[in-house]
Amino acid sequence: MKRPIVAGTLAALTAISMVWTAPAHADVDTDFADALHGYGIYGQRDFNAWLAKITCKRLTTGVDADASASAVFLSRNLAPGSSTEQIWQFLGAAIPRYCPPHTPALIVMAQEEV
Amino acid sequence: MNIYISRWAGRALLMVSTVACAAGALVAPQAGADATDDYPIPHRQIETHCDAEQYLAAARDTSPIYFERYMIDKSNRPPEIQQMAVDRIHWFYSLDAAGRRQYSEDTATNIYYEQVATRWGNWAKVFFNNKGVVARATDVCADYPPADMTVWNWPVPH
Repeated sequence: MKRPIVAGTLAALTAISMVWTAPAHADVDTDFADALHGYGIYGQRDFNAWLAKITCKRLTTGVDADASASAVFLSRNLAPGSSTEQIWQFLGAAIPRYCPPHTPALIVMAQEEV
Repeated sequence: MNIYISRWAGRALLMVSTVACAAGALVAPQAGADATDDYPIPHRQIETHCDAEQYLAAARDTSPIYFERYMIDKSNRPPEIQQMAVDRIHWFYSLDAAGRRQYSEDTATNIYYEQVATRWGNWAKVFFNNKGVVARATDVCADYPPADMTVWNWPVPH
């Protein structure tokens, strides 16, 4: 059980670092969709953007206590067949774009797992 | 002449049998009401033992965008209408399956039966309108705490 989490958090770290290095577009949703396509995550752009925003809201309100809970939430709502790595890549791409204040917590968690 | 008679007799017979078939089609089903097993209220909602808050918390996890839309819609209603909706859904869950089935039938056969709907058409959308949403939420709603009113306090953008 530990291995998927480690692989996942590494994927999240990579996704976060790519946010910092990628040129920013004016539209966050487009930027986010482009990033997801790079991970092989498709689906409706608006759906994914909304899901990312809700993921942020759940962290902010405490419905999800931490990034692991976010990953469980996403695993239920991303397309069936999404890999653990893709779930964490989604999270790593979503948090810096839609709720940057939660980014440090995600990095700390990823580093602890690694 | 005989040919004419038999032709007209044949046509008359055809018309009679056509009318008889049409009438038979109209009266044959012994329908008691317009409600079906899943309409207007999905049968999983009628049979669940969860309360409104358990169901809503489950829907927040299993159909988050549908839940979000409902909460945004709710937040755009006057406070008294929002309260009416909460009270009414509590009343619904207080009914047993037979009572819920009767309510489903009443709302299917009389568009004015549900008074909350006259003030807010989609007042129970997350609870009744989508079979898939209901199925996913009722699958897991027993895992959530009952009567947790905090689930209604979902922040939405204004």
